[in-house]
Amino acid sequence: MHNYIAVIFKDTRRAYKGLHALWRLDAEGIITVHGTTVVHRDESGEFQVDTKETHPALATAVGVGVGALLGALAGPAGAAIGAAGGAGIGAAVGGAVGIGADLRRADTRDQATDETAFVLAAGKSAVIADVSEDSTSAIDTRMSELGGIVRRRSWTTLQDDVWFGDYMPGSYLLPYEYIPPGHLL
Amino acid sequence: MSMNIAKDLDHVRTAAQDLHRALSDAAAKRGDAVKADLEAVAQKAKAVTESVKATIGVQNEAAKKHLKEALVDFEALQKHTAEALKNSGQAFEVSIRQTLADARASAQSVSEAIAAMRSAQSTKSPK
Repeated sequence: MHNYIAVIFKDTRRAYKGLHALWRLDAEGIITVHGTTVVHRDESGEFQVDTKETHPALATAVGVGVGALLGALAGPAGAAIGAAGGAGIGAAVGGAVGIGADLRRADTRDQATDETAFVLAAGKSAVIADVSEDSTSAIDTRMSELGGIVRRRSWTTLQDDVWFGDYMPGSYLLPYEYIPPGHLL
Repeated sequence: MSMNIAKDLDHVRTAAQDLHRALSDAAAKRGDAVKADLEAVAQKAKAVTESVKATIGVQNEAAKKHLKEALVDFEALQKHTAEALKNSGQAFEVSIRQTLADARASAQSVSEAIAAMRSAQSTKSPK
């Protein structure tokens, strides 16, 4: 199965432990990780994507691209709202979109389970990853041990979100483990 | 045999990841330093392309499909790197962005080839 996942942690330090554990699972051949990043939401609700120092134009593209992916991880409603305002909205209010989408779907528990509600509350961090996995248990177990909560949407479902068009949702995720110097384990 | 195939593919993936890493580091620089880095990237891209060609024949069909996609991306990467080396100003910025996108796409394709190979191996392995 090819899936996009968001693993939510209570703080940045745990998120980087989660990121490292994910790449360890890849090194052991249990899953294959295609790309990752770590996103934080500060107490005032602003998102920050950890990325390498790069050209300002590329940094902006990374913010918008990962923001769009965050909106999509909120589920189809989040993606649709993102489509109405452009991908930039995903970068600004992806989490808020997620909350709204989740509440509207809360009347149907099964649907809420199927259509992953990705909610990143203020002050929390998340590992966003594009992975291939034969079963969901390896990631779920390892992340749970580290205090992470895993949300998933299938690659196919995200590709079907019409508003993505030719844009590849995971194209701004780094294809290797990257931990900024200030967060080294 | 399958262990060697896996190792070869792992090496190709590491090389593709290194290319992306080198390019994103280069993109953070300015002036002549970028061009010197790009020349090194162009050489590495050529070597990785040859590695993919060498390993593609022994893969399963699913992995082969992804590696063929990777080849297209690596070739585009070489083309755009060459353009970046000739360009300046806005055209240079465009070339760098294209080059980085090519590197990301090629790393993704190689990674998907690895996933396909691992999945095939796990299906074959006794439970």
